[in-house]
Amino acid sequence: MKDFIPHPISSSVIPSEVEGSLLPEGGLLLGAVKAGFPSPAEEVREKLDLVKLLVRHSASTFFFQVDGVSMVDADMDEGDILIVDRSIDPYNGCKAICFVDGEYTVKRVEITDHGVRLLPANEKNSKYKPIEIHEENRFMVWGVVTWVIKKV
Amino acid sequence: MYALADCNNFFVSCERVFRPDLVGKPVIVLSNNDGCAVSRSNEAKALGIKMGDPLFKIRDIVERNGVAVFSSNFPLYGDMSRRVQEVLSRFSPAVEVYSIDEAFLDLRGLGTGDISGRERFPDTIATLGEREGPTKWEGSTKETVPEASTLPHSPVPGTDFAALARRISAECWKCTSIPVSVGIAPTKTLAKIASKLCKKYPKLEGGCFLHRPEDIEKVLRQFPVEDVWGIGRRSARKLGPMGIRTAWDFTCLSETQVLRMFHLPGLRTWKELRGVPCIAFEDVIEPKQSICVSRSFVHEISDLAGLREQVANFAYSAAEKLRRQKSYCQELAVFALTNRFREDAPQAFSSALVTLPEPSNDYRVLVSAALRACQRMWNGSDSAAARGLAYKKAGVLLGRIGQEANPSLFVQSDAPIGSEAAERNERLSGALDAISAAYGRGTVRFGSQGDGRVRASCEHQSPHYTTLWTDIPKVSVK
Repeated sequence: MKDFIPHPISSSVIPSEVEGSLLPEGGLLLGAVKAGFPSPAEEVREKLDLVKLLVRHSASTFFFQVDGVSMVDADMDEGDILIVDRSIDPYNGCKAICFVDGEYTVKRVEITDHGVRLLPANEKNSKYKPIEIHEENRFMVWGVVTWVIKKV
Repeated sequence: MYALADCNNFFVSCERVFRPDLVGKPVIVLSNNDGCAVSRSNEAKALGIKMGDPLFKIRDIVERNGVAVFSSNFPLYGDMSRRVQEVLSRFSPAVEVYSIDEAFLDLRGLGTGDISGRERFPDTIATLGEREGPTKWEGSTKETVPEASTLPHSPVPGTDFAALARRISAECWKCTSIPVSVGIAPTKTLAKIASKLCKKYPKLEGGCFLHRPEDIEKVLRQFPVEDVWGIGRRSARKLGPMGIRTAWDFTCLSETQVLRMFHLPGLRTWKELRGVPCIAFEDVIEPKQSICVSRSFVHEISDLAGLREQVANFAYSAAEKLRRQKSYCQELAVFALTNRFREDAPQAFSSALVTLPEPSNDYRVLVSAALRACQRMWNGSDSAAARGLAYKKAGVLLGRIGQEANPSLFVQSDAPIGSEAAERNERLSGALDAISAAYGRGTVRFGSQGDGRVRASCEHQSPHYTTLWTDIPKVSVK
């Protein structure tokens, strides 16, 4: 029988004081302050949540990473994280993840009365010619970039 | 009204989210351990690849046609499923998630007016262009609506369920790039049929409203009875000799005849097909009556130590599922089998059952019970070990499952649920759950679980695009 008793991972591994804080109830520390005046801070539980700022629609928000930049001093650099929201309709001048020639590329989308064109994402880059969008490739715009996270 | 939203070829569609180059190409996703095709794109279906075809049997078709093959990527599928559910929940406060790729929406009492969602999602309909609003639709019904579908018809003036169905589908596509078929009908069973029509008729643009009696009759007359939700293959076999081939034939049987042959569940389906809602809307998923965790191994296992490690992992996963539905079990079985695809070799199927002295969902109790059963199975006279064979697949099955609130399901025990000892054990298992939730599964595990990994093959797995920072898709800036 001894063989079949699994390795003990009980109290020796999980100290009892830690155990409490792992439970979903949480908030034990604040609630424990009983003496004297109630701390005014006790009521204030809010904190700044970066995700709330960056992710408006969690159903439609995706992350991409920049890999391959064709110019220096661009506003999007190697390794930057792009936040992309598919629920936003492409608008004139937006930067978007586009599917061009079998790969993902970030492009600036120009929407005018004459039609839709994909321009280089970095404005000063003249290396790439604008691409005209036609009826048959309407799914080229995958999603609109809403934020760029950059490590400095 | 009820809506059913069904993701088309869901796993394949998930693989295509970040690989638009695969759209229009044959794609399949394999089951756990790269065994069989479990999801196929329409192009793969057209090549004759069937659901459940083992990879080695279709290798020829795959190679000749350049079929893209993927191993299951459940973190991706789970995340995409969550996104679709989130979109669906904007359309109804009551969403019943039926499976990873299907959900029912309760549309009872849905008001009129704002169903187009224009205010909440400005410009979407206009921008999509090809998805027209209700007015345009009315003008062009003749050429765009296929034979077997329904014309837009509003039971309440101003409510356009056909437009709503298309809108739900369009919104899911827009937000997640998963194609979703939405059927709306007076019963859940009919909603399922309506959603299947969307797949058959692309002109429905992902949304179908089926409610006028004459339309329902027309559709049911063409709908194979074995494809009706709730009618299994076994029931269909009983119906065949009676000349009942379509769903319509089935609805023409008498109530007493249906009740006699197929009992209450069959009668429920019969009524649902006749437009009488009988299947309750369940926001809460019914707890499962049995739980099974099984996998086949990449390399066959012929040693007890190797098998024990796998069985311990299966038992742990099964216990997790049991705990998630807040149930207890009193029976645990371990089973193992040899490679059933090797027709040249002798086969073995071994199993052993352990009855627990009291109902439990304690990780330690279940893992040690599984190891006990594993040992007994191994020692058995007809086991693979005794016959010099190796196991290809094994699993753990939990039975006699019940809720705490209903102890009568269980055999009498001396230490009932809620005793001091049981509570202490519950705290320990609860701590394991909390550690898994905070730091990932397998952070803390039993020694018998080894490295905690099930030895499965996933040669063709795509990156975990949406759940791992190291795997997010890369994009160039040009």
